[in-house]
Amino acid sequence: MSLEPGVHLMQGDEAVVEGAIIAGCRFFAGYPITPATEIAERMSYRLPQVGGIFIQMEDELGSILAVIGASWGGRKSMTATSGPGFSLMQEGLGYAIITETPLVLVNVQRGGPSTGLVTLPSQGDVMQARWGSHGDYASIVLAPSSVQEVFDLTIKAFNLSETYRNPVIILADEVIAHVREPVKVPPLEEIEVVERKKPDVPPEQYIPYLPKKPGEWVTPMPAFGDGYNVLVESVMHDEFGHRIGTDHAAANRTIRRLWYKIEKNVDKISMYEEYMLDDAEVAVISYGSSARTSLRAVREARKLGIKAGMLKLITLWPFYDKKVQEVASQVKAIVVPEMNMGKMVREVERASKGMAEVMSLTKVGGLLHHPDEVLAAIKRVAR
Amino acid sequence: MFSERDFEHYLAKKYMRTEIMPHAFCPGCGLGIIERMILMAFEELGEEEWKRTAFVSGIGCSGWVPLYFRRDAAHTLHGRALAFATALKLSKPDLNVIVVMGDGDSMGIGGNHLIHAARRNVDLTAIIATNMLYSLTGGQMSPTTPQGARTNTTPYGNIEPNFDLMKLLEAAGATYLARWTTYHFVQAKNSIKKAIKHKGFAAIEIVFQCPTYAGRYILGKPDPRDMMDWFKEVSVPLGKAKTMSPEELQGKIVVGEFLHRTDRPEYTEQVYKIIEKAQKKGGR
Amino acid sequence: MYMKPGVGVKDIIVSDKLCKGCYLCIWACPWDVFEISKERNWRGVKKPVAVRLDQCRRCRLCEFYCPDFAIQVIIDEEEEKMLKEVEEKYEKPWLPRVEERDRIVKEGVWWLED
Repeated sequence: MSLEPGVHLMQGDEAVVEGAIIAGCRFFAGYPITPATEIAERMSYRLPQVGGIFIQMEDELGSILAVIGASWGGRKSMTATSGPGFSLMQEGLGYAIITETPLVLVNVQRGGPSTGLVTLPSQGDVMQARWGSHGDYASIVLAPSSVQEVFDLTIKAFNLSETYRNPVIILADEVIAHVREPVKVPPLEEIEVVERKKPDVPPEQYIPYLPKKPGEWVTPMPAFGDGYNVLVESVMHDEFGHRIGTDHAAANRTIRRLWYKIEKNVDKISMYEEYMLDDAEVAVISYGSSARTSLRAVREARKLGIKAGMLKLITLWPFYDKKVQEVASQVKAIVVPEMNMGKMVREVERASKGMAEVMSLTKVGGLLHHPDEVLAAIKRVAR
Repeated sequence: MFSERDFEHYLAKKYMRTEIMPHAFCPGCGLGIIERMILMAFEELGEEEWKRTAFVSGIGCSGWVPLYFRRDAAHTLHGRALAFATALKLSKPDLNVIVVMGDGDSMGIGGNHLIHAARRNVDLTAIIATNMLYSLTGGQMSPTTPQGARTNTTPYGNIEPNFDLMKLLEAAGATYLARWTTYHFVQAKNSIKKAIKHKGFAAIEIVFQCPTYAGRYILGKPDPRDMMDWFKEVSVPLGKAKTMSPEELQGKIVVGEFLHRTDRPEYTEQVYKIIEKAQKKGGR
Repeated sequence: MYMKPGVGVKDIIVSDKLCKGCYLCIWACPWDVFEISKERNWRGVKKPVAVRLDQCRRCRLCEFYCPDFAIQVIIDEEEEKMLKEVEEKYEKPWLPRVEERDRIVKEGVWWLED
């Protein structure tokens, strides 16, 4: 049984589990890693209660492949990891992308490089989440900034991955994963859950990678054992799923569809929140737990009479150029506080096309920005 | 009458994606014979078994084996076939999941997954096709390359000892083990049949001929016919091998059914028992 | 009857499409039924040809050891009929779609515009 509607006090890691179960997740494979271990722990307890399967794999390479295997077995499935485990999973992530396998991957970011800052937060993986696996592909990455958002976005992540047949990455961090906050669980019937579409044509007529009509970017996905004789092919394939060797035209079609199905639907996928942006002269563009301190700083700035506002990116990738451009065209300056050496700021700079001054506010070492730091930055650019 | 121009064998017509044949293997490659062993096993097991079968393979020449079957198949990543297969079996416990792997998939990059799948005793049938080197990349040393052999990455002779897959898997906890060569056609087919019926982790190592690389560089036998004769010469049945000294067994291939035990619990069943338990007691 | 010499079979087909000329069939045949043809076929392979059909004892070893599913021993009309049935039932239903592959792709791919 899933969680009762009402308000629950939960850790971020627990909220992932409860959200996933409501979204229909019935398979979890993972390997313990701080700070994502609690997700595996709670899954091992909760999943069997709802008829789901939990397996602790021998490593992250196996975990992600198991998740893909279960997804082709017809189950909504997910895994959770952090830092070094996320690096290992890049291999399987590429496989999920080329085979168009829906899955959800929670990366509870910790400080790197390498084993790094095991118990401290970071936002250092934002670029890895987008570009980590080799080759050309598009990815969907969501960044929650509160436990409530962790819960909501986990459900959303499953829906997006089923809709676009693509892995969806949730980039939490150690702060969000371990903080305890009240989570409001709405009545189940009010929660939108997207179920997987199965093919409605006989197996002889099913073409695995040729969407029927324009605008329908993906095909329905049969499970193993349904009689569709599917070929889950990691080698570049054509619309029929056959290995193509050196057929450039077919490879071009496949790669472009994998890219376009996400990038051309950016309007539908993108989520963001605006705070006091209407008359703002200085905008803070932030995401994840940095957004928590940034919001406080924006409020302080308003008290001091500075017209500050904030754009919180919830969907990090695909990057919503349009919205950032809109903000850039109306403000004088943009501050981008991040818990890394300045990564998303490059995207903001690119999208704002010089219409506003962009200032990067970096922070590494495993500490959140203090609101005063962000406030100081706002003051500096407001002058 | 049939025309010879586009004819396919009975098994190919019945079970294979004839539209993408002839397959990409070199002339005389033993993987085609392994495909036939699998298909003949199913021909004897009947259509019902075939209909609830799925194939998983890794990367390498051996990874292409199931792609020619008109059946659900996953061509996964190098070494990760067993992880995919474990989850598939757990998700759909009614499926016969058959995993085809090569040298690298099973003992090289995928060694960890192999021993853990055997330890869990998941109900999978692993067909491990070994050919003494890595062929798809052009003949490099593998965990089964004989000591002293010259390959493209051991130009001065291979100094590494090989794995004895049967011993490795027995220690890890597999419950059905057999080793044959492509020369032992009927025996291997019977073992595959038994392994599909067996509940638990079953592994069959099939040593197959790679005339292009192993034949040419390691054995000096570029003709598949000579390799088959060589298999006949060097293979020793298990019973006879037990009476031979390690020196006498040097360079021989011990063939036979190594293990068949039914005393270890199977993993998928255990998982579903846990689910039942958790649902009954509400978790505690 | 099965192993009696001189029984012969109706036909032994060696496929032009599939045979790669490894001659494992010649190695496998204990009765010396095959010979290598002098001519290359349209794929450039000198196929083995069953020249001594009367020597065949129907052991099917050539079939078993053929890695390419290229050889079929057809004992009699009944077997030929059975082969036809298998072709109709298992192979034919999947072929039309594949044969029209180029057309389906050409008409179906819409995402390359703009």
